[in-house]
Amino acid sequence: MDQLDILKQNWQSQTGNAPQFSKEQLGGLLARKSSSIVKWLFIIAIIEFALFIVLGIISHFTNEENNTIEMIGEPFYYGSMIVHYVVILFFIFLFYKNYKSISTSQPTRSLMNKILKTRRTMKWYIWYNLVYMMVVGMIGAVIIIPNDPRISEMLDSPNFIGHETAFYATFLGLTFVIFLILCVVMYLIYMVIYGILLRKLKRNYNELKRMEV
Amino acid sequence: MSKKLEEEFVKQLEENQNIVHKICRLYTNDQDAHNDLFQEVTIQLWRAYPKFRGDSKFSTWMYRVALNTAITLYRKSTRRVKTQDYDSVQFKIADRPEDDEQMEQLTLLYGAVKQLNDIEKALVFLYLEDKNYREIAETMGISEVNARVKMNRIKTKLTNIINP
Repeated sequence: MDQLDILKQNWQSQTGNAPQFSKEQLGGLLARKSSSIVKWLFIIAIIEFALFIVLGIISHFTNEENNTIEMIGEPFYYGSMIVHYVVILFFIFLFYKNYKSISTSQPTRSLMNKILKTRRTMKWYIWYNLVYMMVVGMIGAVIIIPNDPRISEMLDSPNFIGHETAFYATFLGLTFVIFLILCVVMYLIYMVIYGILLRKLKRNYNELKRMEV
Repeated sequence: MSKKLEEEFVKQLEENQNIVHKICRLYTNDQDAHNDLFQEVTIQLWRAYPKFRGDSKFSTWMYRVALNTAITLYRKSTRRVKTQDYDSVQFKIADRPEDDEQMEQLTLLYGAVKQLNDIEKALVFLYLEDKNYREIAETMGISEVNARVKMNRIKTKLTNIINP
């Protein structure tokens, strides 16, 4: 198309409406705060990390009051806690590494890729936490049932005799359903937050990817 | 960051600010959005500046950061340009050609470019800036062959927009 070359010839002399900025104005712009998606990604990540760490600490304190540690056994209680925090630290390290690799000076496609990779790390972080809560919660429940005086008392009552298996099944089944609902809710929240934030980026990323096919 | 670095940066930015203005014009449709994007590009450039080693030209480096900001980092989606937004699709140049018909044609073509998607705009922008296919490919992170193929498709698309 020759027309585009006509535009090209006149391209450099375009003026537009925008006034040219003076050095003072440009210097002023440097002090402003960025509102880029990378900044938002960072803020959301911090909230996600904090949320699950706080949840862990809260459950730790509530468990102490209920003598859960005694019932569940110290090795399992502290063992799972140590593993949990080591994994969280690993996620923070991964996130930091991804975040640091986001640089605007790289080719567009790899920049987009790095941003999406950072988001994936956070997705795995959320999934890890949900699965951890579920697995530890279920194992904990199995260990607690025979050791909890209140439950054994209840099971010894005439109404329950002969229905122990049904009780176990219902108890574990309910725990499972609650966690499942929690997972679905988290997933939906996750989809909405990142959906809004990354819609444009994803569209452009797919456009670039299509070119390579 | 030192005062000296800031002065040096602002000086280079002032000399090359037209590049950013051209990108902002292409990716936004009103003055507020233009200034908003310009501000974000400036912040991103300043942030990346300490790592700019001068092994490429300041302007070349600027293309990359500015386009990345417009396509990738900038959050606000551009409102689709409507034909009645005459001002935003008008192509203004310093030395207006004698020929009114040619001016009209330029505006028409510029309006068509503004209707392209973000990625296509970036390719056209680099093409209009007289970058070769190797540079276009490097900036976008695609292969040279694909940049060429895509550019040909865009040209066809532009022709179709102008002559529906």
